[in-house]
Formats: sequence, structure tokens, C-alpha cells
Amino acid sequence: MIFTKIPFFTTVSFFLFIGCGKNKEINKRDGLTVYQEAQISWVRNFNPLSPAGSARWPTSGGIYEPLFIYNSMSGEFVPWLALDYEWENGNKVLNMSIRKGVKWSDGKLFSAEDVAFTFNIKRKHRALDTRDSWGYLNEVVAKSDTSVRFEFKRVFVPGFDAIATQSIIPKHIWNKIEDPVKFANPNPVGTGPFTEIIRFDNQLWELGKNSDYWQKGKPHINKLIFPTFPSNEQVTLALLSGSLDWAGAFIPAVERVFVSKNTENHKYWFPLTGHTTFLHTNTKDPILNDVRIRKAISYAIDRELVVKVGMYDYTEPAHVSGVSGPMSKWHSPHINQKEDWTIYNLEKANQLLNDAGFYQKKSGQRSNESGQALEFDIIIVSGWSDWIRSAQVVSQNLKKVGIKANVKTYDFGAWISRMQKGEFQLAIGWAEKGATPFPLYKGMMSSEYLQPIGVTADVNWHRFSLAAADSLFRKYERTSDQTEIKEIIYELQNLFVEHAPSIPLFAEPAWAECNTKYFTNFPSAENPYATLSPNYSPEQLFVLVNVQNR
Amino acid sequence: MAAWAALTLNFFIPRLMPGDPAAIIFARFRGKLKPEAIQALRETFGLTNEPLLGQYWSYLKSMLIGDLGISIAYFPEPVTNIISSALLWTIFLAGVSLIISFSIGTLLGTFIAWNRGGKLDSILPPVLAFIGAFPYFWLAMVALYIFGFELSWFPLGHAYGENVTPGFNISFILSALHHAALPALTMILVSLGGWMLSMRNIMITTLGTDYISFAHAKGLPSLQIMLRYAARNAILPNFTGFGMALGFVLSGALLTEIIFSYPGQGYLLLQAVRAQDFPLMQGLFMTITFAVLAANWLVDIAILIFDPRTRK
Repeated sequence: MIFTKIPFFTTVSFFLFIGCGKNKEINKRDGLTVYQEAQISWVRNFNPLSPAGSARWPTSGGIYEPLFIYNSMSGEFVPWLALDYEWENGNKVLNMSIRKGVKWSDGKLFSAEDVAFTFNIKRKHRALDTRDSWGYLNEVVAKSDTSVRFEFKRVFVPGFDAIATQSIIPKHIWNKIEDPVKFANPNPVGTGPFTEIIRFDNQLWELGKNSDYWQKGKPHINKLIFPTFPSNEQVTLALLSGSLDWAGAFIPAVERVFVSKNTENHKYWFPLTGHTTFLHTNTKDPILNDVRIRKAISYAIDRELVVKVGMYDYTEPAHVSGVSGPMSKWHSPHINQKEDWTIYNLEKANQLLNDAGFYQKKSGQRSNESGQALEFDIIIVSGWSDWIRSAQVVSQNLKKVGIKANVKTYDFGAWISRMQKGEFQLAIGWAEKGATPFPLYKGMMSSEYLQPIGVTADVNWHRFSLAAADSLFRKYERTSDQTEIKEIIYELQNLFVEHAPSIPLFAEPAWAECNTKYFTNFPSAENPYATLSPNYSPEQLFVLVNVQNR
Repeated sequence: MAAWAALTLNFFIPRLMPGDPAAIIFARFRGKLKPEAIQALRETFGLTNEPLLGQYWSYLKSMLIGDLGISIAYFPEPVTNIISSALLWTIFLAGVSLIISFSIGTLLGTFIAWNRGGKLDSILPPVLAFIGAFPYFWLAMVALYIFGFELSWFPLGHAYGENVTPGFNISFILSALHHAALPALTMILVSLGGWMLSMRNIMITTLGTDYISFAHAKGLPSLQIMLRYAARNAILPNFTGFGMALGFVLSGALLTEIIFSYPGQGYLLLQAVRAQDFPLMQGLFMTITFAVLAANWLVDIAILIFDPRTRK
């Protein structure tokens, strides 16, 4: 008896001892483990200009930095590598003053020359100009070490957004690169808080901090660690096991699956981005062409139920203007009295359908005099389960007012091709995004992007344009006056609400989870200094410089 | 000839898919990219409006000199680099588990056929057939959840641990083996039954033939009859199956790779198809095609060795 007991106790205490040692070690973690990209094998690419967007996260917004960062929570541009800007010469010239005392991670000084060079390299290699900056720019020159002058071909004030958020690259390195389009930039030199590639393997890579970062004392953490995760299931498991600290993934029933396992440290924050997910209506369809039908469909949708069943209650029903959350400040003061077709109202839906000449038959199905039935397909990407469920709810809703809607799923490639060619009737999809609602409305109502059915249109899939809106867009592009900008947005909003070119479905949240066991000072609803989601580059810079070891 | 036909199909089939790669990459930004960007993207990838036949000729030419082009999804990484990094892991995981599963399955099949009607013969086939009938992803997920997450016996994914450096060192090899264990086990478990059953069935037929009875009558040791007389003949159809499976190893084990975050070819192929990455798809299909052709050739040789009748 005694002989067997002693080894047993020794083993147990030995394991306890090991356990304690392990726990102490684990209480501090050197690197912040992050998930942003679904990959199974890393490819070494740190080219922030790469048009394919194939550079590793956070190349543009971590290794490299922009002039200004748009903070989607406050709705403002925050000066970063630039300090200030000024329009002059009737908004044809933009002057920017550039920050002093910033160094590249190889020790060389950063200056306005680098800023001018970044734009000029895009002029030389048009493939790099993914924002079409040279469609409106005429010349970019550094006037001194701390001042850059952007001269425009034509007045185009919204061009500021693209200029401000451009990642700046070092001239002294990139002027020796022969083909910057195909350059993978394996050893990046940047101004950002994390610049040193400590390790790069196909399963894991580590990005060390820039010890000479221009914001003194920042970043607070030593390195970022990026293991590969092919899909959200692996991300969820890694979050639960505590091996992942920060992720931007969609997790179903996050309260039960993730938070309830450790209420103290498992956090998530899905703030509204201000943008909206739409039920796109093909306005070239002979029936959907009628605004009454579009509004009737919208009235018939019980968005509360869509959000609850389709989106796990993570978001809220869409506002009729198509913008919400932090973008609500753009709502026209009279908008709510004018139209309310995003509020569930079966009576109004039926009324509008009757007005349009579609009467309910005995079967419950509506059709018009010539026997045309109200029947549509809603197309969704296969596997996008939240949208598929949302579409199913919409389909149930529409049945109540006599509209038959069939949910059909397609592979992403096939889906996007149908959207772009206008070969659909109804579809759940996203719309243009930006710092103001301007890109949204332009994508919704401008004739500039309009294409006939069968020809690829990269935006304006629903194929709608309005001459009145076109003149407002031109007016908007010429002004830098804030009150005038607001007035134009209000007018655009009124047009949007009147014509319902597409149907806002629900507000779009930004997915993000974090584990505060080893790190603190993540943004949250209580401390909303930026969005927690790493998916809105370069906004993650706010998080990267503020996160701290516990 | 087979290779040429395969190369031609590799070229045309992906191009029959709707959509184009630039549009798909643009769409992945979900409205965050300005529409003007798409022209820049098309320019970058060299997507031209050249007639398909012209593209086909330049494709054949570059294939002949072994130039697989530049990937679109992983721009600007050459396709050869991407494939070679995934290839080794796939051969390691899928290849090794196939060989293990084939050897164990065939041996078990031989054994239970020899002792047909015995205890093992009545237990193993139904049990393994039962396991094999489960959907693989379900079985793998349950295994990952129980042995990886709840019990922490095996890592939750990846091909090697965070604190080892890839290279020829003991800790890396041990870590790689530890990481491969669970995915390999699940793959072996589901495929074992098939090998075993087919071997058992053919073996039983063989055991009933006259020459086996003759060998018994001659008084040969039973081990010799079992392995050299019966199994050697019975294994031939299984060998053909093995050859086919060996060729398809290179297409990767998609579900295994996704569930265990394993960096192999299968997931790469999925990515390539999703992004309409023509060069990467062509490269992957080409390696698979050549692997299948090579495996068939090897099996032909193996059968030549095992089966004297084919040697005339």
C-alpha cells in the first residue's frame, strides 16, 4: 500500500508543480495574436500599393501609414503623417502640411518628398493607381520638407478621402525598384508602429515593433503574431482556447458560444459602421421598374424579424436613408416625416400593390390584368448563411402580401457576375462605402456607372440613374464648404427616399472579438476610440498603438 | 497524348466559369474600393481581350518550359512557389496516411480472410464500415473537439507548433508529427474499412481456388500459403486502387486541411477556384494530372513485378 501511494503523490505534486510554473509563464504574453485574413499558408508580401490587395495585414495601416485616418466611430479624419490641410484656388489646389520628426524604420528621415513620390509612382505605373487619383490630379510636388501641394485637373473635393488615406512609401527604397507592381517587398521599411519581420513561415509569422516609432512610448506591445486560420470555425475554437487575442470574425450566437465561457475576458463588440446591407432591386426589370412595387416590397418586410432570425440580433433595421449608426449625423432633419417605407406596414404594401395594378387572386398570389404574376428570385452567395436566412425571412414576409420570392444561391463568382451584369431581380448585397454618404448615393443614382443589362457594371448593379442626382453629384464634387456639403447630402437623401432605387435592409455591423486576459485597452462600447474590427484598414492603427499588456 | 488532353482541358474549363478575376477581387472589398480601381486591376493581371486561341498557344508554350505564371489571388507570387510550399505538406500528410491505411487495411483484410468466420472477421468489417459511413467532416470535427479542444491531447490545428523553426531539427520533426497525428488518424480511420473489405473479398475468392487447395495438399506452411500464394494474387486489384488513390493524394484532402488548418493543396485549389485564379488552377491541375499519370505508370510496373502473367 505505502509503496504505491508514495509514487502516486510524487507524480501528482510533480504535475501540480509543472502546472503552477506553466500558469505563471502564461500570465504574461509577449505577442498579440491576431486573426484578420482567412489563409492556410502565408505568402510573403508587404507591398502596400499592390493593387490585388494581396499584401499581408496590417501592411497598409501598421507597417505603412497614411496621411490621415478616418475614424468610423467619430466620423472624422484624424491627422496622422500629415498635420493639416487646406483647399485654395477655388478648390483646385490642396495643400498639406506634413509631420516633422517621423523616421523610417531604417533610420532615414521621413519628409514631404516621400509623400510626393508615393503619388508620382502611381502616375508612372497606372496599375498601382487603384483609386484613380490621376483621373483628377494634375501634379503633386513637395514644396518643402513639411509641405505638399496637390494640384487638380478639375475641381474634385471628394478626392481628398483617397489622398488622405494613401499609405506612404519611402522614396529612397522604392525609386530603385524596377517593377513596383510585381514587387512583393519582402523586407518592408515603413513609418508604422510595427515594422520588423521577426519570422516568416508558411504557418505563422511575427511582426515586431518599431522601437523608434514617432509616437514616443508607443506601441506598448512587443510584437504581433499571425497564425493561419482557414475559416471562422477554427478562429472560434482558437478564441475559446485562449490562443487568439484579437479577431475580426463573424461568430453565430456570440454571447452563448464565446462570452458565456469566460464573461470576464471574452469580449466582443459589433458596432454599426453606418453603412447598410441592401435588398437590391433590378430597376430594369419590367415589374421592379415601378417604384410602387419597390416600396411595397419594402413595406412588407418585417425587418425586426430579419434582424432577429437572420442576423442573431447583432444589428438593427435599416434607416430609410440607407445610412445609420455613426452616419446618422447626415440624416436630413425632415427625412422621417417624408417617407417611412422601411417601417413594416402590410396595409400600405397592399395598397401600393393594388395601385400598381396587381390584385390578389384566390390562391393568394398577386398578378395584373395581363396575367403577369408577382414572382421574383432573390439571389444570394451560397454558404453566406446569415444572408440566406435573412432572404428566407424576406421571402416569407412577401408571401403575406401575395408576392412569391424564391431564394436561390450561387457560388460567389457566379453571383458577382450576375450582379455586375444585371442578371438578377432581387439580391442581398452591399453598397458603396465612404467617409460621407456621398459614395453610397453616387453608386445608387449616378448615370456615370450605369451600364446596360449584360455589360459588367462594377457598381450600380440595380441600374438606376436620375438626372437631378447627377447635377447634385457635380455640385458636391466642387465644394469644400461644410454647410453646402450637408445641404447636398440632404437633397440626395430626399431623392433616394422618393425613388427607392434599392431597398435598405439592415445596418451593417463590424465583426470583432478580443480576449482581455493578457492585453487591455481594446476599444469597446464604453471606450469607443475606434472600431474594434481589424477589417477596416487603416483604422486598426488606433488599436495597434493603444493596446497594452495587462 | 493524355498529358496534352489534360493540359487543354485545364486551360478551357476554368475559363468557362462566369465572372473574371479582377471583378472578383474588386468585389471582395465590398464597396470599400472605388469603381475606378477595376481598370488598374485588369492591367495588373494582364487580363487581355486577346482571343482565347492566342492565349491558349502562349499558355502551351509557357507550360512546356515549366513556367506556370504568376498567381492572381496571391499576386505577385509565382505559382510554382505557392504549389511547392503546399505540395510537401500534402505528400506528407495525405501520402503517409494513405500508405498506412493501405498497408494496415490490406494486412487486416488478408488476415481476417484467412481466419474467415473468426472473431475479428465478425467484428472488424461492420465496425469499420460503420465508421467509414460517417460524413468525414463530422468525424474530423468531433475528433478535433474531443481530442484537441476538450482533452488537449493534440494541437487545434496547423502543421507545426509556434515555438519551433522549420528545418531539419528534432523539435520541428516531433512537432510536425504531433500535429499530423490527429488529421492522419481521422483519414486512416475512414479509409481503412474500404481497403480491408476489398482485400478480404478478393482474398476469400482466391482462397477457394484449386491451386490453394493444391498448396495445402502439398503441405506447405500456412503462412507461406497465406502471403505468397493467396495474398500475392489477391492484392493486384487493390494495387490498382492504391495507384489511383496515390495520384489523387496531390489534389489534397480539402476537408482535412480546412478542419485542421493544414497548409496543403486542397485548400489552395479551393482558393484558386474562388478567386478565379487561372494560373494557380492550371498549375494545380497540372501537378495532379501528372501525379495521376505517374502513379498509373508505377502501378503498371508494380503489377508487372507481382503478376508474372503480364510479363509476356
